[in-house]
Amino acid sequence: MIDQRVFKFPGVRRLTLWLGLLTLVQAVLVILQAKYLSVAIVHLWKMQPIGTIVVPLALFGVVFLGRHLVTLAKNWVTYPFVETTTKQLRKRFMAKLFDLGPSVVAQQGTGNVVTMGLEGIDKIQTYLMMIIGKVLDLSITPWLVLLYIATIQWKEALFLLVIYPLIILFMVILGLAAQAKADRQYAGYQRLSNHFVDTLRGLPTLKQLGLNETYAGNVYEVSEDYRKKTMATLTIAMTSTFALDFFTTLSIAIIAVFLGVGLMDNTIQLLPALIILTLAPDYFAPIRNFANDYHATLNGKNALTAVLDILSRPTPTDRKLLATSDPVWTPEDGLSLQHVNVGYDADHATLQDINFQVKGFQKVGIIGASGSGKSTLINTLSGFLSPQDGQITVRGTQVPHLDQQAWQRSFVYIPQAPYLFHASLRDNLAFYTPDATDEAVRKAADRAGLSDWIATLPDGLATQIGEGARGVSGGQAQRIALARAFLDDSRRVLLFDEPTAHLDIETEIELKQAMLPVFDHHLVFFATHRLHWMNEMDYILVLDHGRLVEQGTPAELQAKNGAYVRLRSEMAGEAPEA
Amino acid sequence: MKGFFKTFEHDHWVMPYLKKYRGLLTLVLFLGFMTFFCGGALMFNSGYLISRAATHPFNILMIYVPIVLARAFGIGRPAFRYAERLTSHNWVLRIVSDFRKRLYQSVEKQAVAIRQTHQTGDVLSILAEDIDHIENLYLRTVFPLVIGWLLYLFIVIGIGYFNWAFGLLMLLLLGVIVVVMPLLSVAVNGRREFQARQIQRRFYTQLTDAVLGLGDWLISGRRQDFLQRQDQPIDDIAALRRGDHYFQWWRNLAIQVVFGAAVILLVWWAGVTFTHNQAESNWVAAFGLALFPTIEPFADMSQGVSEWPVYRDSIDRVNRLDEHEPVKAPQRTIDLPATLAVDRVQFTYPGAQRQVIQDLSLTVKPGEKLALLGPSGTGKSTLLKLILGDEAPTSGQVTLNGVPIAQLQDQRAQLFGVLDQQPYLFNTTVMNNVRLGNLNATDEQVHAAIKAVELDQLIGNLPDGYNTQVQEAGSRFSGGERQRLSLARILLQDAPIIILDEPTVSLDPITEKHLLDTVFDVLHDKTIIWVTHHLAGIEHVNQVRFIEHGHFDMQGTPQELYRDNARFRALYDLDRGETTK
Repeated sequence: MIDQRVFKFPGVRRLTLWLGLLTLVQAVLVILQAKYLSVAIVHLWKMQPIGTIVVPLALFGVVFLGRHLVTLAKNWVTYPFVETTTKQLRKRFMAKLFDLGPSVVAQQGTGNVVTMGLEGIDKIQTYLMMIIGKVLDLSITPWLVLLYIATIQWKEALFLLVIYPLIILFMVILGLAAQAKADRQYAGYQRLSNHFVDTLRGLPTLKQLGLNETYAGNVYEVSEDYRKKTMATLTIAMTSTFALDFFTTLSIAIIAVFLGVGLMDNTIQLLPALIILTLAPDYFAPIRNFANDYHATLNGKNALTAVLDILSRPTPTDRKLLATSDPVWTPEDGLSLQHVNVGYDADHATLQDINFQVKGFQKVGIIGASGSGKSTLINTLSGFLSPQDGQITVRGTQVPHLDQQAWQRSFVYIPQAPYLFHASLRDNLAFYTPDATDEAVRKAADRAGLSDWIATLPDGLATQIGEGARGVSGGQAQRIALARAFLDDSRRVLLFDEPTAHLDIETEIELKQAMLPVFDHHLVFFATHRLHWMNEMDYILVLDHGRLVEQGTPAELQAKNGAYVRLRSEMAGEAPEA
Repeated sequence: MKGFFKTFEHDHWVMPYLKKYRGLLTLVLFLGFMTFFCGGALMFNSGYLISRAATHPFNILMIYVPIVLARAFGIGRPAFRYAERLTSHNWVLRIVSDFRKRLYQSVEKQAVAIRQTHQTGDVLSILAEDIDHIENLYLRTVFPLVIGWLLYLFIVIGIGYFNWAFGLLMLLLLGVIVVVMPLLSVAVNGRREFQARQIQRRFYTQLTDAVLGLGDWLISGRRQDFLQRQDQPIDDIAALRRGDHYFQWWRNLAIQVVFGAAVILLVWWAGVTFTHNQAESNWVAAFGLALFPTIEPFADMSQGVSEWPVYRDSIDRVNRLDEHEPVKAPQRTIDLPATLAVDRVQFTYPGAQRQVIQDLSLTVKPGEKLALLGPSGTGKSTLLKLILGDEAPTSGQVTLNGVPIAQLQDQRAQLFGVLDQQPYLFNTTVMNNVRLGNLNATDEQVHAAIKAVELDQLIGNLPDGYNTQVQEAGSRFSGGERQRLSLARILLQDAPIIILDEPTVSLDPITEKHLLDTVFDVLHDKTIIWVTHHLAGIEHVNQVRFIEHGHFDMQGTPQELYRDNARFRALYDLDRGETTK
């Protein structure tokens, strides 16, 4: 009924105590409200002068107001706890994201993580706001009301007590039946509900195939099909609410008839009868409220599970094994990987038995067909992925993974599509070095070949770029990432993951001119399937299906006439007959 | 309020459907009204029942009618409620079917600019969500509001029947709950809405930025910065929610206070009115209790209405959709084979400064293969749009056999086949996807097309064979395989001119080479216009054109260019990984 984990949040016990107290007061007010109203009505029924009802009616007014003021007070004491808790959750969520790194995002999906942080935590807020109050209401109010009724007329109280578990039983049985049926239909359901967006997204293709007009009928038919399926499920799903509604309303009707008969037999007086009748709906109100908000509760609970799951993940430890120094990487330093296995899930390694070592400012090309493990290797070198086993040694220090704080300060990572933050161009350029002077930023931008472009921008370096702002072409994004490397001289390692795969050949050549000068005095890892880059490398790793099948200088590999030569000729294709 | 009428002034999305499904709508409102009527009537009847019983009638038959009525109302309320919920959902889903078809047709008519980019994908999701919003507008706002008003009128008229002055008082008092409070909710939320949207937007951007740029944040080592940056939006969003809550609490309290006053007045009035004899005074309890069950629907009205600003946005957006329906030129048809001619075409996007295409001319004869190259942003894609007739040239013209392309749009699918960067596979079976090329194709023809693109073995080895689901956006298959499936579709479509819009951009060189070999092999008798970003496979074509700054600056056969043009030779060798020094 209530998630045990809710009780782990700080301040929840104090809150429960307060809410319990307020709920108790409210239950008493509910009873008094029924009593005073009944007193007033009975006076009138006895045809006493109107003046006799002034006091009971005024008391009714006061108690009625008091009851709703208590509702306000309950919200008032709950809200600070809820606000603090959700704020803390958001902050802890963000901190956890930072500590877990991009691998958790890759695993959960960007959209999913963003939804979790925004709507997910909103749902938790709604959930927390109501759950404690509702549960307390459910566990105090009906029983106090029942106790009071029992003191007046034990038979009616007994009836109300017996009907309660019956209502719950029917709700559960019908609810389970509906759930089972809904589960069976879920797959087909999902497909139908996604069909519409699928069709809209595929509209250009439909147009190309000349089907755009005939397809409208199909959209309607599928939607009607969806409606019929949905209605079939809803008919059952709503029966559980119907059962609750039916039994509670009918119970009130039966109580009324009971009381009527009792009054005729003179076993009860009008005043107590009227009080019982007025109180009966309040006896059922908490469980009805609870059932009405059941779905919001369920959503909140699921969101809480998802967020807590992320929060409870272990953060990588041993992130400070590597000593800091400035710069981290010098010509004398070495990096070696021995028998390293890396995988996205525990029992299957994407990269197997990787062995190589590099020293100082080498330029290492990584080549292989799609799916051979180039990106996985770069992600291991950046520390975004931790190896399952094997040995990594950096600067003579043995580390379990490269998610080392000192190591991360030593490299610049340039993927196929560098991410541009929704910020000014200057902030994007100086992302690793926010304290850099404008002069330094300008100089780095110039070296990356961005000056001409910046000159065309309305606000120069202050221009906003990124999501929803000014568009930046693929080539320019690469240059911005490159400028980050120019700007931070302490970062002497460059990790490239297919930086030019989507660029046209001429843009690529221009970019190459800007890139090559940086390669000196840096350790470069360059994963690509554009062959001409291999000519700039002085060491090459050839990957095939997750294994390092060849390594050596280009000349050595050329002479060996093995996997490297085969791959090159396969990738290059045939020459034109001139 | 002004905004309300303005929204519906030119509305053709909400109102027409209210009219179209009038019968069901009336039923929904009737059932909704009966639900709460029964709830009130149950208490009214019960109050009377026990008062009457308390007078000790000598025979049980004297209270027989109220006893039966108590059971009837007791069963009636849940039954009506159940029926109302089913009918209203059925009604809304019926409308959704109409909406979807309608939205599809609107988007389809202006599919001009819609290409499969991320951005348009988002726009489409937003539109699909808008429909859900309108669905909720009915369920959460319109129905509760109208049912609440019906109930309100019933109560006021019922009391007015006994005493018009007191009826008028109730009209005013309950009017505060059912008219003033909802209006206040809309006003307050409308005012906050703009600010709320900004805060939410900022938080969303911030969060997306943080999540997508997580790698860079990690590398930068700026953990403190990262966390601090989230503080402001987190506080803002907390303040926003706090504001929402406070308003709701106070509003609900106000509603309850007014309601409490109404109950007191009703009892007082009943005390003054029904006190002449015992038979009359039996009604006091009835009136005193009857009002309580109506508080629930009354209070829901304000909550439902306060969501109106969200719905208004959606209604405005879908209404704007079909405001500018493009005018279609009178259509003609031509006979094949077709020669494509681009004649001194210039093009500037509406509202833009820069001329994307400057004076381009080009002729492609049947069976010719043409490659278009050039840096991004130089007008390659725009030229394709002009050729397909998705955009009209600012000056000059594009013709097929002398007929302007705008007049051939009805015949378009018989003339052009298109293979672009991300061909779309629908979430259905392989068979259905390929058959989209020609709905009349036999199973054998589909199999033959799949065999031609060399996927027969792969698909034959899948457990479900040709009936394998391709999953959302074709994710069951790799990039190269998806391209091949679309190619099979184009083979079935059998159009004479094929447009290839960088179909290999996301593929590795080996996959790319194999795909291009297949493409040019199976399409050997077609006219091909191929936009490409580099020179792999260029030997397949007999004409190469480089576009730079909106005009051609290199052209010839690949062989000529390789022989005579140093720049082409340099690019070509580079692409093959050869050193040109």
